[in-house]
Amino acid sequence: MLKMNWKTANLSSMRVAFADTIFDLAKDDPDLYVVSVGLRPSVLMDRFAARYKTRFLEVGVAENNAAGVAAGLAKSGKNVFLCTYACFSPGINLATIKQSICENNLPVKIIGYHGGLLTGELGASHQMLEDVALMRSLPNMEVFAPLDSVETAKITSVLAKSNRPSYLRLVRPNSPKIFPSKLGFTIGQSHTLQSGKDITIIGYGPILTQTINLDIKPSLEIINCSSIKPLDENTILKSIKKTGRCLVVEDHQLFGGLGEAVAAVILKSGLKCKFDQIGVNNSFGRSSRDPLDLYRLYGLSTTDIIVKINNLMSKK
Amino acid sequence: MKPWGRLAHPLSSVARDIRLSVLDMIHAAGAGHLGGSLSSADIMTTLYFSDIFNFDKDHFILSAGHLCPTLYAILAKKNKIKQSTLSTFSQIDSILEGHSSSQIPGVEFSSGSLGQGLSFAAGLALGDKDHHTVCLTTDGEHDEGQIWEAVSFANKYHQGNLINIIDCNNQQIGGTTDEIMPLGELAAKYIRFGWTVQTVDGHDFYALIKAIKNAKNSSIYPACIIAKTTMSKGISFMENDYHYHDVKELSLEVYQRAKNELENS
Repeated sequence: MLKMNWKTANLSSMRVAFADTIFDLAKDDPDLYVVSVGLRPSVLMDRFAARYKTRFLEVGVAENNAAGVAAGLAKSGKNVFLCTYACFSPGINLATIKQSICENNLPVKIIGYHGGLLTGELGASHQMLEDVALMRSLPNMEVFAPLDSVETAKITSVLAKSNRPSYLRLVRPNSPKIFPSKLGFTIGQSHTLQSGKDITIIGYGPILTQTINLDIKPSLEIINCSSIKPLDENTILKSIKKTGRCLVVEDHQLFGGLGEAVAAVILKSGLKCKFDQIGVNNSFGRSSRDPLDLYRLYGLSTTDIIVKINNLMSKK
Repeated sequence: MKPWGRLAHPLSSVARDIRLSVLDMIHAAGAGHLGGSLSSADIMTTLYFSDIFNFDKDHFILSAGHLCPTLYAILAKKNKIKQSTLSTFSQIDSILEGHSSSQIPGVEFSSGSLGQGLSFAAGLALGDKDHHTVCLTTDGEHDEGQIWEAVSFANKYHQGNLINIIDCNNQQIGGTTDEIMPLGELAAKYIRFGWTVQTVDGHDFYALIKAIKNAKNSSIYPACIIAKTTMSKGISFMENDYHYHDVKELSLEVYQRAKNELENS
């Protein structure tokens, strides 16, 4: 069994996957617009902006206006992708997303770049650790966080056809490429990455790849919940029924994240389950040249995951 | 009294009916934003009952969602919603939310949180260049930074099909706008941001129609109309009194007094 090591894994970029997909989709969809919020180079939209001049709107560093303009464009029938860092959207413009997009139920696709501690050296202000909590609390909003670049491309093309407000969380650095190039994705459905019988591991994003092929005794069932809302409750409960143990892993605050969503599903089901979480515990992030050092510092590393797995296994 | 010796405009009797509906709605509901609904009544009446726009195709975005009683009364008069629903305003089984909701036929934008409508209107105007988008904001709402983000955006994208009418009654929930947050020279600000600006008496139908027609004819410049209005216009003992921004309770006596005054205007 291999231990996943980012230094040797096959790495690829979610940001590139998103940018390439949206560029290709725009060829066949004359109504596809990108709203940029002053970060065009960082959100990798230079090529889109050059090719689709009238469908690339640069709003400037003005996140609330960006969300409002995106909503108005969607109202006129356009297929709008709002692209900036998650720390600014929804970090700054939550109220505009709530009213102008969600309450009006307009299918704006909000792309949150730089999710999680993985944002690295940019530090606390840019490491968005609250986006999933904020977005999953909004009525009408659907929330997605891909595992890798392949799933990023797939979810992007599914969202391009969705008629609902949506949030897609991306990460900044290159991350392990797990999926083969052909991949299915259905809103509200998870992918079981690995079947097992002792403990259910649930998560989203690159942090979950740390649990694949771990060289440990317990047999892990790993569920990739890239569709955070709606959540694939059936698959989760089916697995919990088998294992009776659950660890939720996310690069996000423990408050309001997927862990709490899964805990509620399990509690309401009445199933007995030993439960624990990996995530950021009521802290701000900080800078680090190597983002994986932050996983070690904040208790999100592979070692921390193994400790929690063993603790759960030792509980009677 | 007819200022400048002009005849009362035919729209003034329409606006009086709208004001009476607004008063009835808020009295029936027991609460509502009376002051701004009445100050903006002549503006919204002009938009909907002159032939300048066709809001089956053109767009009206009410940014200040608390002014919705006036919009609802207009939509009822236009038969977009039933007249009988007006008396259910803000009740639990009513479609007429206490702040405007896009669930209501004829309402394009759910609002209530101030400062968002102009951005929405700008996006809509950009996506539908074949028609005009008219946004109604308030002076107090211009405290919001998002308004100025949208003002910059409309200038950058040469939005000649976007009109922002500002209901300037110089009052907000807790005092005058000058006390709460002085806006300075609003007209000069808009001009500096690249808009055309007209300042009019927001209760003079002749002036409103002329200004709105001018704004509609703008080719590449977004157009701002600063409509100087009186809070609670039409009910003399409530005029210019910020306590009537949001009415919590209208006693039968006060309601009757107000109604008599409107009926005899």
